[in-house]
Amino acid sequence: MIWSALRLSLIVTVVATSLVVVIGTACAFILAKGKFRGRELLDAVITLPLVLPPTVTGYYLIVLLGRRGLIGSYLYELTGWSVVFTWWAAVIAAAVMALPLMVKSARAAIESVNPQYELASYTLGKGRAETFFRITLPLARRGIFAGIVLSFARALGEFGATLMLAGNIPGKTQTMPLAIYETVVAGENKQAQILALILTALSLTAIYVTNKLANSRTAGLY
Amino acid sequence: MLYVSIKKRLGACEGGGDNRVRDKEERTFNLEVEFTVPGGVTILFGPSGSGKTTCLRAIAGIVTPDAGRIALGRQVFFDSATGVNLQIQDRPVGFVFQDYAVFPHFTAEQNVLYGVRAEGSKAAKRKRARELLQLLGIEYAAQQYPRELSGGEAQRVALARALASDPAVLLLDEPLSAVDVKTRERLLKEISALQQRTGIPFLYVTHNTAEAKAIGTSEIILEEGRVAQVC
Repeated sequence: MIWSALRLSLIVTVVATSLVVVIGTACAFILAKGKFRGRELLDAVITLPLVLPPTVTGYYLIVLLGRRGLIGSYLYELTGWSVVFTWWAAVIAAAVMALPLMVKSARAAIESVNPQYELASYTLGKGRAETFFRITLPLARRGIFAGIVLSFARALGEFGATLMLAGNIPGKTQTMPLAIYETVVAGENKQAQILALILTALSLTAIYVTNKLANSRTAGLY
Repeated sequence: MLYVSIKKRLGACEGGGDNRVRDKEERTFNLEVEFTVPGGVTILFGPSGSGKTTCLRAIAGIVTPDAGRIALGRQVFFDSATGVNLQIQDRPVGFVFQDYAVFPHFTAEQNVLYGVRAEGSKAAKRKRARELLQLLGIEYAAQQYPRELSGGEAQRVALARALASDPAVLLLDEPLSAVDVKTRERLLKEISALQQRTGIPFLYVTHNTAEAKAIGTSEIILEEGRVAQVC
């Protein structure tokens, strides 16, 4: 059980983090540079899973994606497939929970890039996309990388929303945190201990790496 | 010849090239200027908060005037009457910033290379970047990053980069205010020589009288958002 849970956790976390990096960076860019009404509202909605109880976030995901959900019902009608209780549900739950950390981190990083550099790029005839990928993103890379590490750690530890949307099916949707819960409930303390230690080590590494990045940024490499 | 005629109501955070000035400018004022920039080095002179930087930014397309017209020869950059407003990228304008704005993650050569607008092979672009670094006398620093450069060197890189995009006019926003006095004197001569070599008009913003005298071939004096004198 340990190894299947570990394997699933890593797959789910890697896929979720990849989604979060792309979507989160795009959201961060829109929030940092966009001038539209409801910008802060969008930020608030993205941030919500950070403060809501994970079970509530999971509940909303069911309302959205469940077989009778707002989006899920169309999907079920079209394909006869529902995301609920599949490993994709675990990916979505983990991604939604990790997204705020990515967006917060990346937005702050993008906003901290001196706009003068972007203006300089524009005056050299470069478009917005080229300027973003060649100037803004490289200059914001530390904060973005810190966001990736934090998202990875958050996705790895995701429990509540995953349980709601993906359930706790051994070998199918049972990630490490769920496996820990089940082993403790079943009184298998030895197994729980090993799983807990693995998760702790991974999370500790993530925090260490993030802090290191944050410190070298304030040390003023640029 | 660059023709500028603009009106712009400025809020507290739009004017001024530098933050210290910006904080003091807790008022709105109206910029309303009309002038032409002939060849040579034209000085745009005035005290802090007189609207110099805003003029420069309007020409480059960084700020949009409320009304008016900006045209370089027959190419119209901005005309409120006809609704023309070229994007920054589409204006053949080079801009040299007060604090250099050289990209910190690029070497000196990469900075200049990034600006090279001409179509062509990578080798041709590199050659052009090399020529410009040579022209500015900093080819020795080609592989160095901005954090390893002195203020004078960084501004030379910025000049080379601005020229790399083959601008039809070069705008300089107090380019020497952050370099030491000795470097300033040398760079003034170099900028003057650079103008003669490239033949494009330079519009040079400063509030330093000595700088204006040393480099200007003509001068526009701004006061409180108005043209006070042209000479």
